[in-house]
Amino acid sequence: MSSKESCRSELRIAIRQLSDRCLYTASKWEAEQLVGIEQDPAKFTPSNTRFQRGSSSIRRKYRTHEIAATPIAGVSYVATPVMEEDELVDGDFYLLAKSYFDCREYKRAAHVLRDQTGRKSVFLRCYALYLAGEKRKEEEMIELEGPLGKSDSVNRELVSLERELSMLCKNGTIDPFGLYLYGLVLKQKGSENLARTVLVESVNSYPWNWNAWTELRSLCSTIDILNTVNLNSHWMKDFFLASAYQELRMHNESLSKYEYLLGTFGNSNYIQAQIAKAQYSLREFDQVEALFEELMRSDPYRVEDMDMYSNVLYAKESFSALSYLAHRVFMTDKYRPESCCIIGNYYSLKGQHEKSVMYFRRALKLNKNYLSAWTLMGHEFVEMKNTPAAVDAYRRAVDVDPCDYRAWYGLGQAYEMMGMPFYALHYFQKSVFLQPNDSRLWIAMAQCYETEQLRMLDEAIKCYKRAAACNDREAIALYQLAKLHAELGHPEEAASYYKKDLERMEDEEREGPNMVEALLYLARYYKLQDRFEEAEVYCTRLLDYSGPERETAKSLLRGMRSSQSILPSMDVERFPP
Amino acid sequence: MSGIFKQPGAFAITPHKVSVCILLKIYAPPAQISLPFPFSSVAHHNRLGLFLLSLTKSCDDILEPKLDELIHQLRMMSQNWMSTWIIDQLMTRLSSLSSPDDLFNFFIDIRGILGGPDSGAIEDDQIILDLNSNLGIFLRRCVLAFNLLSFEGVCHLLTNIGIYCKEEFSNCPPYEAPSLDDSSSNLETYSEYENMDLENFVYEKVSEEIEARKEANERIPFHLHVPNTLLSLVDDIDVPVDSAASKQSEKVRVASPYGDPSSNMLRDDDPSGAVFLRTNWQVQGYLQEQADIIEKNGGAVSLNGFEIVLRQLRKLAPELHRVHFLSYLNSLSHDDYIAALENLHCYFDYSAGTEGLDFVPPAGSNSFGRYEVALLCLGMMHFHFGHPKLALEVLTEAVRVSQQQSNDTCLAYTLAAISNLLFENGISSTARLIGSSYSLFTSIGISLSVQQQLFVLLRGSLKRAESLKLKRLVASNHLAMAKFDLTHVQRPLLSFGPKASMKLSTCPVNVCKELRLSSHLISDFCNESSAMTIDGAFSTAWLRNLPKPTGSLLLCPENGSGSSSNVSQFCAQPTSIPGSVMQVLGSSYLLRATAWELYGSTPLARINALVHATCFADASSSSDTALAYVKLIQHLAVFKGYKEAFSALKIAEEKFLSVSKSQILLLKLQLLHDHALHRGHLKLAQKLCDELGVLASPVTGVDMNLKTEASLRHARTLLAANQFREAAAVAHSLFCMCYKYNLQVENASVLLLLAEIHKKSGNAVLGLPYALASLSFCQSFNLDLLKASATLTLAELWLSLGSSHATRALNLVHGAFPMILGHGGLELRSRAYIVEAKCYLSDTNFSVFENYEIVIDSLRQASDELQLLEFHELAAEAFYLMAMVYDKLGQLEKREEAAASFQKHILALQNNKNEDDPLVGVL
Repeated sequence: MSSKESCRSELRIAIRQLSDRCLYTASKWEAEQLVGIEQDPAKFTPSNTRFQRGSSSIRRKYRTHEIAATPIAGVSYVATPVMEEDELVDGDFYLLAKSYFDCREYKRAAHVLRDQTGRKSVFLRCYALYLAGEKRKEEEMIELEGPLGKSDSVNRELVSLERELSMLCKNGTIDPFGLYLYGLVLKQKGSENLARTVLVESVNSYPWNWNAWTELRSLCSTIDILNTVNLNSHWMKDFFLASAYQELRMHNESLSKYEYLLGTFGNSNYIQAQIAKAQYSLREFDQVEALFEELMRSDPYRVEDMDMYSNVLYAKESFSALSYLAHRVFMTDKYRPESCCIIGNYYSLKGQHEKSVMYFRRALKLNKNYLSAWTLMGHEFVEMKNTPAAVDAYRRAVDVDPCDYRAWYGLGQAYEMMGMPFYALHYFQKSVFLQPNDSRLWIAMAQCYETEQLRMLDEAIKCYKRAAACNDREAIALYQLAKLHAELGHPEEAASYYKKDLERMEDEEREGPNMVEALLYLARYYKLQDRFEEAEVYCTRLLDYSGPERETAKSLLRGMRSSQSILPSMDVERFPP
Repeated sequence: MSGIFKQPGAFAITPHKVSVCILLKIYAPPAQISLPFPFSSVAHHNRLGLFLLSLTKSCDDILEPKLDELIHQLRMMSQNWMSTWIIDQLMTRLSSLSSPDDLFNFFIDIRGILGGPDSGAIEDDQIILDLNSNLGIFLRRCVLAFNLLSFEGVCHLLTNIGIYCKEEFSNCPPYEAPSLDDSSSNLETYSEYENMDLENFVYEKVSEEIEARKEANERIPFHLHVPNTLLSLVDDIDVPVDSAASKQSEKVRVASPYGDPSSNMLRDDDPSGAVFLRTNWQVQGYLQEQADIIEKNGGAVSLNGFEIVLRQLRKLAPELHRVHFLSYLNSLSHDDYIAALENLHCYFDYSAGTEGLDFVPPAGSNSFGRYEVALLCLGMMHFHFGHPKLALEVLTEAVRVSQQQSNDTCLAYTLAAISNLLFENGISSTARLIGSSYSLFTSIGISLSVQQQLFVLLRGSLKRAESLKLKRLVASNHLAMAKFDLTHVQRPLLSFGPKASMKLSTCPVNVCKELRLSSHLISDFCNESSAMTIDGAFSTAWLRNLPKPTGSLLLCPENGSGSSSNVSQFCAQPTSIPGSVMQVLGSSYLLRATAWELYGSTPLARINALVHATCFADASSSSDTALAYVKLIQHLAVFKGYKEAFSALKIAEEKFLSVSKSQILLLKLQLLHDHALHRGHLKLAQKLCDELGVLASPVTGVDMNLKTEASLRHARTLLAANQFREAAAVAHSLFCMCYKYNLQVENASVLLLLAEIHKKSGNAVLGLPYALASLSFCQSFNLDLLKASATLTLAELWLSLGSSHATRALNLVHGAFPMILGHGGLELRSRAYIVEAKCYLSDTNFSVFENYEIVIDSLRQASDELQLLEFHELAAEAFYLMAMVYDKLGQLEKREEAAASFQKHILALQNNKNEDDPLVGVL
């Protein structure tokens, strides 16, 4: 990796260039990374200390695998971004346009630049037009709501923008920013392949535009496409790959990329949040909580990604922390979908499902395609026993993202609740297909097969086996497997599963009725197999418990002793000393 | 569902509706006595009224017509100057709407057309729009919708009217208006419009931009978001270039009822947002119509073409969930399993089964939703794709859920579906599946055979349907009962077999009764409302018939011959019998034909098939119609020989080119196989047999009938090749299969075949029990014709035991003669004649010299008919016998003649390999 110092200077120039072109999201992101670069201890200045969080002790604690730093192929060959500080001639118009732009008067900005030919001006004009079209589109979406729902209105500037940009592209007078805009337009018009090549060209010649990378990521919907994309190596590429892996649900790959990036951008909030995201997908809730706590300390007014934190707090049932978080984001910006979601989560945890639904609805008003709000609202409806509404909400989630296994799972659950297990199977199969390593999904499917109405026990056993194979935390699968095998009259399998279950319970130091059941079964089984020693061990362990099993164990022991007293004598007869 | 989003049903005002309002104003100008200006007669005036009515009701498209289409239709409506005047008026008034205020004034103005609530007080000849008439309601809704608009909405409407007009201008600028001033004023307003444009900030860009849009449209004909691969798949649709001429030809093409309905709506998806859906009612009507077409003749709808329409609809109306159902139907009819499954689930997730197509609207407010309907549909889908086990599993769940939700309607349909499933796929053991769920069985507590379950199911379903007054279901249940009665004996099959008492038999009277009951439907259905589809279909038909000359349309006598399909469709609509009723009725006739076929009355079978083919061809599904044709052609083959049958087959093949290929294909293979067997082309016969075997294992599940047919024919081919052992083995395994799946009727014919095999192999004694068993099966099921044929075989068997049995054989033959001569085909009759002659000849008491005429007569009859069939083997036998008789009589000349014919047939039989069969080419 290039040195921290060079990164820093690259970023400093890039930020200026990006904000010159009003690409504010990108420049915000770059600035975050700039500040996130860890200071050399030698140059420690007091003004920097506040970004040096408690020397990331937590991160070290949880850093599971010391990454074998991804070998970077050569140094980044794109040197520091040097863009000619052009167009001093039309500088005045440009300044006016930019001020208009900053006041969100896009059409005015574009109009001021109508006759300017400098690259920067052309880009700003096109970008302003594009944003004006987007704004109008959003407005029209509300205005043109037909009797049968909202129809998608289109950005009316796209056609003319595409014409102009493609012409520039042909002439070869287009710069990387123009290419980015061209890619954006193409993507909206649906020509994804072309958009992808244009965006690749853009990021290859100017890698510091994070917006372009995000657009490119959304166009790489499968790993195959991602692999075919031909990118020059640069440290920005690592950021891109990490987030692309995350989108493709390759969490471990993405995690290792981020860990690697931490080497340079040690204090980046962004990376920290992304790591938390990946950990969340891997269901490492403790780590996620710690990470977010740290984030909250360093960046108390952050709203982005905080909905995930609230999910974690919800799962851990920490009422006060969740309420604190909700209060905080509410004070910061209550009209963010994330804030609404967090409040919804809080009410849900409190058991006030109607209120919670109200907040999820508000979140969805703010962003129609907010995936997790749909899913969470579905959960709320399930809690409220309003299954049709739940089904509707889940289905909308699925339509937003067909790969959301939670929503598929929710659909299955809703149908199972309605007593339609066979119908539900279809949905469980979908969700299991998308997330084959989640034992909960397999268990849900197995339970579906096991229902009274279906009784397809062989299939249930297969599902439980899969569940047991993929790290079943609640340890349901082993117990169920044992029980099912016992029911189907396969004593050997049943015994082996009971044994495994028992071992596991011993490891985790759990007690309970399952323990007693396992012990009893094993005692009986070994007795029947005439392996009295093992049987005796289990019987004596049973004697520690109170209840009817204890008596059964006693009688078993008695029976064994009496038969044992006969057996040895027979042995003696057969084999005289 | 669930009240998250507002319910559909609103009414949006669009440029097209504004045009209709203008036309309405022309139709009924306020305060006008008698006929308004341009109309020369009341008929003309009425015609415009009808036209407007049709515009508001027709459902042949999802999108509102553009201005040029409207103008085109107006011109079609009447050819004279009147239409030109109307069009001019329309254009002028449309283009005079240039500011929001104009629109406000227009709608205030339009209110004046409507009569007051006390319209009775008005003079008789004053033209006024009744408040509650269809058009009056339309107008009122338009006014209301406008009044509800926000200012933004008014601005949008204005912009859209501008685009609506501009498209027309750019499409046909050399628009031949008699008054030149008008067109120039139009152009003025056009430029005026540009100045008034509120939407576009950059003035000078407007026209340029619209041009660009047009360019874009020309370059990419369909939606911009359709992937290229999909585009390349749509091969059967040519995209119309924007010119009036091609539009016209397109309309003509659409006029045929089976034409691709989607082609006329593949207009460009205008990015400027000037595309509007028709009213909810019209769109639903359109979907309903498409569903009917798919049901009737799924192949006629192009998969991708229709899918594109649906996708557009989905985009324009995301809350119209029925679209998913249509896309399910579409993929179902094109055998796309995965898409069908996805769409089905999607539809029911969204709609919760509360807007199904085939079901009575939900009674009351049931908050639960009606997911059992989803199960029913899923079950039927699995059934369609040939997954009987899955289907049964799902349907069982449907039974359970509908019982829980006490949805009796759904339960009745589900039971009907299950019995249908059990009928079609002989499932050998379903005791566990149904027994566990259907309470009736569990309460009895005994395991029933499939037949008994089926019977109980049918009865239950029928009873439910009757109590719920589901007319159509009652009718089809009666049909199912008839089918059941036809193929199953009345009592439980506990001690069934050849030795069981004769009381155990099917009851033809029952079958007839059920069939008759099912036809009562036609008088019963009238109180069921299906007004929507009928209105819509009527309007659609009316608009399609616009190009016709003026005149009283209801009695269109002048074009009786020209476009008969149009006329019949047009005249058929007002009878207002729903298509589904016609379909059930039609299938009752088909079932009658089948019943008579089995019972052995060929004339009745033929008549019923004919009735179906002539009266119900339009209404019933194409596969039913094909079946009627198949029956008729089979009849031809049996009674008139192959030549006629094949020429008829050619016609049928052309008619059912795309549809239900398997049925026609099956018939073709059957005919060719029979023909080959008769002519002794054994290799060809074997080949055909193999083809049949391939058909018997199609992807869409295994059809038991097809399977039995294939192996029956295989055995017969082996028999013809004198491979008795193999033939017997095949027949035996076939018998086992039929027995397992309770195909009793087929059992009889297999047993008969076994008897034939033994007869031919010379083991008459072994053949006798088979023939007797077959006879008793025939008796139990009242299969008279098959019984006659079995009797004949029995006679032959006795005869081959020695001449001492000749009298017994003769008696048997004579007993069967009335049936055979009355209803038997050519082959059966000639066989009977030959057997009779043989009986006489081998009878020691019979003197050839005295009664030779009896024998010769029979033989001549036989040989004539056999020559028609080209059945060389039997013909040779007949001639041989004839020659022998003549020899005995000493009539040498005639003997030589017969001998020569004998030789001819024998040679033909032996040399058939060298001969070129013209029919082989047919394959």
